[in-house]
Amino acid sequence: MGRSNDILLAVENLKVHFTGDGPVARAVDGMDFQIHRRETVCIVGESGCGKTVTALAILGLLKQPPAIIADGRITFDGRSLLDMPAAELRALRGKRIAMVFQEPMTSLNPVFPIGDQIGEAVLAHERVSEVAVRRRVNQLLDDVGIVDPQRRLGDYPHQLSGGQRQRVMIAMALACEPDLIIADEPTTALDVTVQAQILGLLKKLKQEKNMAIQYITHDLGVVAAIADQVYVMYAGVVVEQGTTGIIFGNARHPYTVALLNALPTKKKRGRRLYSIPGSVPHPAYRPMGCPFHPRCEYCEPSCQNAFPALCDYGKGHHARCPILFAARGRAEETRA
Amino acid sequence: MATTANPVDRMGTDETHMPPSRSPWAETWHLLCKNRMALTGLVIFLVFFGVAVAGLTVTSGKDPILDPARVRLQEKLRPPFSAPKTDSLRSEELPALGIYILGTDDLGRDVFARMLQGAWVSLTVGFVAVGIAVGIGILLGGISGYYGRQYIQSGHILFWLLLVLAIVLAFQKILSAAAVLLIVAIAGWLWKKRHDRRVSPLPVCLKWIALPTMQVDTLIMRAVDIMLCFPSFFLILTVVALLPPSIYNIMVIIGLTSWMGTTRFVRAEFLSLREQDFVAAARALGISDTRIIFRHIMPNAVAPVLVSATLGIASAMLTEAGLSFLGFGVPPPHATWGNILSDGKAFIFDAPWLTFAPGVAILIVVLAFNLFGEGMRDILNPKLRERN
Amino acid sequence: MLAFMGRSIIQKVVTLFFVSVISFLIIHLAPGEPSQIDPLNPKFTPEMVERMRTEFNLDKPLHVQYMLFYKNLFTGRIVSWRDNQPVLGKIWERFLNSLPLFVVGTILTWTFSFPVGIRSAIMRDGVYDKSATFLAYLLISIPGFFFAYILIILVVTELHVPVIGMETFGVTSASPLVRIMDRTWHLVLPSILGATGGVAVLSRYVRSQMLEIIGQDYVRTAWAKGLSSETVYYKHALRNALLPFVTMFGMILPGLIGGSVIIESIFSWPGMGRMAYEAILGRDYPVILTLNFITAALVLAGTLISDLLYMVVDPRIKL
Repeated sequence: MGRSNDILLAVENLKVHFTGDGPVARAVDGMDFQIHRRETVCIVGESGCGKTVTALAILGLLKQPPAIIADGRITFDGRSLLDMPAAELRALRGKRIAMVFQEPMTSLNPVFPIGDQIGEAVLAHERVSEVAVRRRVNQLLDDVGIVDPQRRLGDYPHQLSGGQRQRVMIAMALACEPDLIIADEPTTALDVTVQAQILGLLKKLKQEKNMAIQYITHDLGVVAAIADQVYVMYAGVVVEQGTTGIIFGNARHPYTVALLNALPTKKKRGRRLYSIPGSVPHPAYRPMGCPFHPRCEYCEPSCQNAFPALCDYGKGHHARCPILFAARGRAEETRA
Repeated sequence: MATTANPVDRMGTDETHMPPSRSPWAETWHLLCKNRMALTGLVIFLVFFGVAVAGLTVTSGKDPILDPARVRLQEKLRPPFSAPKTDSLRSEELPALGIYILGTDDLGRDVFARMLQGAWVSLTVGFVAVGIAVGIGILLGGISGYYGRQYIQSGHILFWLLLVLAIVLAFQKILSAAAVLLIVAIAGWLWKKRHDRRVSPLPVCLKWIALPTMQVDTLIMRAVDIMLCFPSFFLILTVVALLPPSIYNIMVIIGLTSWMGTTRFVRAEFLSLREQDFVAAARALGISDTRIIFRHIMPNAVAPVLVSATLGIASAMLTEAGLSFLGFGVPPPHATWGNILSDGKAFIFDAPWLTFAPGVAILIVVLAFNLFGEGMRDILNPKLRERN
Repeated sequence: MLAFMGRSIIQKVVTLFFVSVISFLIIHLAPGEPSQIDPLNPKFTPEMVERMRTEFNLDKPLHVQYMLFYKNLFTGRIVSWRDNQPVLGKIWERFLNSLPLFVVGTILTWTFSFPVGIRSAIMRDGVYDKSATFLAYLLISIPGFFFAYILIILVVTELHVPVIGMETFGVTSASPLVRIMDRTWHLVLPSILGATGGVAVLSRYVRSQMLEIIGQDYVRTAWAKGLSSETVYYKHALRNALLPFVTMFGMILPGLIGGSVIIESIFSWPGMGRMAYEAILGRDYPVILTLNFITAALVLAGTLISDLLYMVVDPRIKL
């Protein structure tokens, strides 16, 4: 790939473990992904597979203990975030990497007006006058589509609806024009119509401000709407990665296939919707071998022993399933 | 693909990929073992309980092994671990253990024996007082939380008025009038009961009996507000001073003045549990109110109540000690840690053990109750549990 | 807002009425007539008892006694049975004595418990937190009078400082500086003792509040903005953690009387707590009832104040 100098964020072999009562929980267990400048990357997976933990690890917001970053590197714009002094990391947070959280209802401080909360993000990183901050906050609220921002500045979070609050959260993330916004399921808690509006807003802002977005979700419908690049996560590892087109058109990992099958579409109308049997294994009690094998339709004895490697399908498409990779080889051979 | 069984079939043997499930009791025990302070509290409490029971057996009865009331004036204010002067004492006056482990007081009584006797008294004061408070609290809180929306009818008020009047009259020795009122009240009650069962409307002239006046919840919560207006230690002190001195009065009064917290707590618990799906489901199944309350709601509400009861015992013991200290406590034949300390304060420079032995004992036992109670509160806190 | 205040004031007046009735009944229905103040005292001849009975309306029916008592209370004509002095005047005098003790104790409590609690929460499970926790439990569990004696022994034997009473006998003739020093020394121990229990309880409460808030989503948001830890803890977290303490602010008032009985009697401090104790000992019912009534009124005023404060502080509550 000729864009390697364009890489904004690279996460390599990241392992985050939680210690405490009982065995160590390997929440993130060898995570690899990259985000290029001005790219929207989706991390997809069921709840409990380590998506949020990865995001918090990038920002250095994990509570340590109980969390431990056992291994790996996180590089942002050429600098390692894990070795960075706390003060520098703090200067980076909100300034160059900003985050939008899942729960707009509880993510805003109830006792401060929203204007102050957005302005605070500016003041934490830039030396600007009160008037300038006020003007900026006004502009930001206008950007995220809050009507009559001048009047809403003094509102408290409880006076806003869920969608409006998420807009405020986004405005707060945009405050210092960051290079990367990490959005952790920002639309999950919202109504479907509001969800579409927020997605549209993120897409528009990304174009205008030249940002990269790391979008974390469990909803493949959302992925199709905004992603350039998709990473499918399962049990703390990436099981398949590729461009949005490849993932939706040519998925090669049984888990991705199962997820796509579970997606309601027009074609499947009237039929019983597919669901993946079982549930995500507890991070402290993962099975041996391929983590997905107990739930997998294509499981073979070798899957229970050996942890599968990423198989290269070309054009940046990788899937962590040697069984299907070999099967594809055989199928092509027979076809030839 | 012969090796590939249906994944759903394999799920049955897949329990290993989930954390082992433990019963709530096992989970609680496990968390308790990890909380060292709470565990220490529990151990101290068990030791104290054993000591109190042992103390009761060796210091009571006609001829106790360790006699807390034995006065030996020639042996007064002996320091701890001193041996008795054998020449001046008769053989039955000698302490059973050969020495005065905690010394003697100003009347030459064996402090160790008195402490043992006091342990049992402190324990019973704590448990009975809190038992009364928790009993009232659960009853009123439960009624308020579960039946709170129902209205008290004017008939009910009339009934209670008659009853109270009858009791007052009985106290004034106007027995015949009291008896008449009592009979009228009970007859009215029975008549209303029978009438309710027949589901016919009340006669017009008696319509006012069924008038709703006030919600049960309002009544009970106002009663709690009223009780909270009294400065509790001052109130206890006043009432204890008015009543004839007796250990039972103290237990009852401490109990009667400390039920408000439990009531509020149980009410809140009942209110939230009542709205839970499992209670709705039970009600949909036509299960009786009593069964819902005792089988479905109570078990969920009782653990935190017991925790606050543990803390309540600690504070009841401190209150008893405080009362004894002020001279309003348990009357003389009984030794309690509070009155040993209170008696000892006059000799604080000459015989500090008279102050320190009971003081330290109270401190340790109350500390144990507090540590155990607070630890259990943490353990039962669902927010802390989820983290595991 | 006004409607809320009106409703709440009416409710509180009704509560106060019931408190007055109940306390009156407790005193008058308890065994032992109020007139049998001290049957062993030779001064109390049957004629005197009779005179007292008529003088204090004890021969009238209970409800008339009640009416007369509270009428006298509100017109300030109520007098003590001990010395025939007006009760309100006596209470005022004692109140002025208790006030310095109360003020110093309260200031100590609030200034110590907040820093300790907040620090404990931030350094959760660290050495500081563990030792602060244990110390707090120790102070909660120690009987106040026992602790008082330990401190008295320490202070008297080590520092040779006078501690009993409000001032040293005869010090009034000394220079003003000596008098001030003397009174300060007398104030130190009782107010520290009055504060210890409060510090222990309050700091634990601050800690648990703070811990709860630190785990909230909006605190995580504050971290993600790149704010300094001071701003996160002391602006975002503390401001929210403080909300419930506004309620407690209203509850300080009643502590004026209730909490100080034991300490004031140990230190022979002529304050309200000691007055209550003496009144109970002497069965001086007007004083007991008046003190009780004032305390109840203070409790109710306190709850009203804290309700109002809460509305001011929490933007979510609007009435």
